[in-house]
Amino acid sequence: MIKNYLKIAWRNIRKQKFYSFINILGLTIGMTCCFLIFMYVRFELSYDSFHKNKDRIYRVVTDVKTPTELIEADITSAPMGPNIKADFPEVVSSVRINQSNTLVAIGNNKYDEDKMVYADATFFDVFSFPLIRGNAKEALTAPFTAVLTESNAKRYFGSEDPIGKTFQIDGGKATIKVTGLMKDVPENSHLPFDMVLSLATAEAMGQNLTESWGNFGMLTYLLLTPGTDPAKLEKKLPAFMESHIGSTMKGNNMYYTLHLEPLKDVYMTSKRNAPVKGSMTNIYIFSIVAILILLIAVINFVNLATARATERAREVGVRKSVGAYESQLTFQFLCETMLLSLFAFVLSVALSQLLLPPFNLLAGKEIAYNIFSTGAIVWFLLIAISVGLLAGIYPALVLSSYKPVVVLKGAFSSSNKGLFLRRGLVVFQFVITIVLIVGVMIVYYQLLYLQGRDLGFKKEQQLVVEFGGVNNMKERWHDIKQQVLNVQGVSGVTFSSAIPGRFQNSAYSNIEMKNGEMQASNINLYFVDYDFIKQYEIKMVAGRTFLPEMATDSTQAMLVNEAVVSSLGYNKPEEIIGKKFDQWGRKGTIIGVMKNFNYRSLKETVSPLTMRIEPEAFGPLTITVDPKNIKKVIAGVEAIYSRYVPEGRFNYFFVNDDFDRQYRGDFRFGQLVLTFAILAIFLATLGLLGLISYIVIQRTKEIGIRKVLGASVNNILLLLSTDFIKLIAIALVVATPLAWYLMYKWLQDFAYRIDMPWWVFLAAGSVAVVIALATVSIQTMKAAMTNPVKSLRTE
Amino acid sequence: MIQLKHISKHYPVGFGKNEILKDIDLRIFEGEFVSIMGPSGSGKSTLLHILGLLEEPSQGEYLFDGEPVHKMNEKKRTQLHRGAIGFVFQAYHLIDELTVYENIETPLLYKNMPAAERKSRVADILDRFNIVAKKDLFPSQLSGGQQQLVGIARALVGEPKVILADEPTGNLHSDQAKEIMELFKQLNEKDKITIVQVTHSELNATYGHRIIQIRDGIIA
Repeated sequence: MIKNYLKIAWRNIRKQKFYSFINILGLTIGMTCCFLIFMYVRFELSYDSFHKNKDRIYRVVTDVKTPTELIEADITSAPMGPNIKADFPEVVSSVRINQSNTLVAIGNNKYDEDKMVYADATFFDVFSFPLIRGNAKEALTAPFTAVLTESNAKRYFGSEDPIGKTFQIDGGKATIKVTGLMKDVPENSHLPFDMVLSLATAEAMGQNLTESWGNFGMLTYLLLTPGTDPAKLEKKLPAFMESHIGSTMKGNNMYYTLHLEPLKDVYMTSKRNAPVKGSMTNIYIFSIVAILILLIAVINFVNLATARATERAREVGVRKSVGAYESQLTFQFLCETMLLSLFAFVLSVALSQLLLPPFNLLAGKEIAYNIFSTGAIVWFLLIAISVGLLAGIYPALVLSSYKPVVVLKGAFSSSNKGLFLRRGLVVFQFVITIVLIVGVMIVYYQLLYLQGRDLGFKKEQQLVVEFGGVNNMKERWHDIKQQVLNVQGVSGVTFSSAIPGRFQNSAYSNIEMKNGEMQASNINLYFVDYDFIKQYEIKMVAGRTFLPEMATDSTQAMLVNEAVVSSLGYNKPEEIIGKKFDQWGRKGTIIGVMKNFNYRSLKETVSPLTMRIEPEAFGPLTITVDPKNIKKVIAGVEAIYSRYVPEGRFNYFFVNDDFDRQYRGDFRFGQLVLTFAILAIFLATLGLLGLISYIVIQRTKEIGIRKVLGASVNNILLLLSTDFIKLIAIALVVATPLAWYLMYKWLQDFAYRIDMPWWVFLAAGSVAVVIALATVSIQTMKAAMTNPVKSLRTE
Repeated sequence: MIQLKHISKHYPVGFGKNEILKDIDLRIFEGEFVSIMGPSGSGKSTLLHILGLLEEPSQGEYLFDGEPVHKMNEKKRTQLHRGAIGFVFQAYHLIDELTVYENIETPLLYKNMPAAERKSRVADILDRFNIVAKKDLFPSQLSGGQQQLVGIARALVGEPKVILADEPTGNLHSDQAKEIMELFKQLNEKDKITIVQVTHSELNATYGHRIIQIRDGIIA
């Protein structure tokens, strides 16, 4: 019986090549999107699931509360982890991790190492990163020891055995011995690294890890005993903090509250930062997009199948009159859909496999190499079967419900059965399409806005060279500046500890408030030289900038931005001039207030920032260059660099490019939405094409008669298009508030955002109308141009 | 074998109704060959559809082999369809996507007959109708007479007790029509199959034992 069904299904597929093509192509595209997004979502949700103890690992995070603000940090200070472990028996182990970077030197070879971490010896107890060589318990106990990942060991030592080998870090300040070799860190780890140095190394190099309760910078993770309730442990932590540094917190008027976060929440759901962070919003958006695209394909199928139902009606009548149950016919038609769906499934699997590499690129990470090895194929098959059922059930029920008498009498021509549904589904498709078009336009509009927005400082033509490796910077920075300034094409040079768009330090600072009390808070900090403000064209709203002729400026002066002024409760910038500060051992007065400038991504509002002069901390050198001489300048600066840092590696970048890198993820998001929008439009057009070509065939006779009666080609076009234009108008009405709401939500991610322009909705509607009109016209043209005698004779 | 008691059929039209059949009493005995005649719109096709369970009467009783059809559920009726009734249509109504062989096989599939038996049955009937050579052709490749032959073969393959034919020769030339009518006669006489046909043709009607005239929904 099934054989008979399949046979007739196969013959129908072949007979109706055009419709089969539309259906299979649509379902294949829909399923492929769905499969790829499925892989992506599954990958994103799999973060950190490879740790054996994943259910017992918790991250310790800190809420820092000052009278003016609450900072939700993802880090702790160094003493917290070990003391929690010592005070609470339910904590099996604690590990502290400090992300860092350095320049590794092996003989004459230099390697940038920007994915290294310092970690306690307990690192491998808590986390499951399997060691290939070395002892997991002892590899990180001694100072100056390191564990390398396989591929990093290969990078450093080639095929030689890395165990026992040594290398130098921080420009020769320390020699490190390799004590272990580990497998590469899986891509789905929220903590990416390719080298672990023992935390004892940092201690041996002078970092205080036992008493600096107020110095934040460590990621801390706890491994709890089985059955421990983390909520109960968390409740005991305030008392723990009180007993250790209660009086200090009170004295500084700065309070720390510790919380525990399950490891599985760190990457995806936690609102705090993490070394690598996922986005639940994106997961939702992509899942919904995948389902919508698949739905468009399913709707195409349902529309075509019900519109063409009359063609199969006679078969239904005959089969019923020779004794078929309705349920058998339903089953038969479902089988046909299933066959199509499985056909599309096979194509989709092949296509997904082919598209994995570009998709990995688009997603910006290695989600998978091989679809078949991941076990996802079972899920894909389930998806394909559900699609078959979803697409097939309604047409099958409609078809099998035909009454044989009605059908076989021949009085039955075209039914309006399902017409309302069909129209509804077309509207639905256009709603999806319009929402996606609006989405793409607004995403790109917003990103262009971000790139074009005045950041409050000059980012063009600013070349940055990292001079971090210079010994005795305090003595030499003047000379370096002078020499670089002499290079032809250089019009300005300034040293600082950080540049906009890149990481900057923050410091525990006391600043005088209106009432004369000193307020402690953690404030972002740039160390700059006298030319920084001028060269970055940062505006001043009160006071003055640093001046070389003022002797005290080099140690006792501070600039603050407007955000500091308002966070300390001052009404006018002028009021803070002359107030006292105490920061990292330096005391002095505030001499000027800078206008807020966006030194971080425009996703954030400008947070408080202080600037001081501290040549020891100088690293990046910003060079304002003449765009015509860029190559010469780079060569000239490189020569100077290699004189001062012979063991270093020359690196440079431009501030504007570097700043825009922060939006790379958003551009990637925009590209993905664009891709899916194009696919959605394509699928909807395909469905429309099928539907219209069928309607035109149905109405050939009517068109012929109308032409005989004097209708022009335009009249006919109008006649057939009006219906669809109406549907699109309805779709636009439905889509506008929906798109507005969704994009409003998306824009909330940005501190600086566009007002949604009204014309975007109109434009999206117009695009839909144009596409529909074009589709209708092409099909209708053919019918409208044929000689009516021909079409009428065939009747 | 077939007994209709006070059968009537009407369709709603606007606020009133359109009466097709009015209070029909009819008995057809096993082995009979009955022709139903009447002008267009007299209700003869509707009567045949009611006999063939394709349509339900608005009122009245229908006994098939003594069993009350009007009280049967959908499933029982389908079983009756499969076992006892074969249909022949004016427009043949073969399934275009199936070959001659497969068209004939279809009713047997719905009876869940084992493959081997199905094969021999279809082979028998192809042989008997002399269309073995055409078994792999599609309906569109056959002449009208040949298509109707296949239609009859399909009706017969399930070994029904009664064949209901709705103007079986209406679309055929007189030569082909004669052939088909001879075949019906033979089936009736040799195989003892009850035949009820609707026809316009006086000539075709004479092949039967009895002629029932219908006019305006009433047996004349």
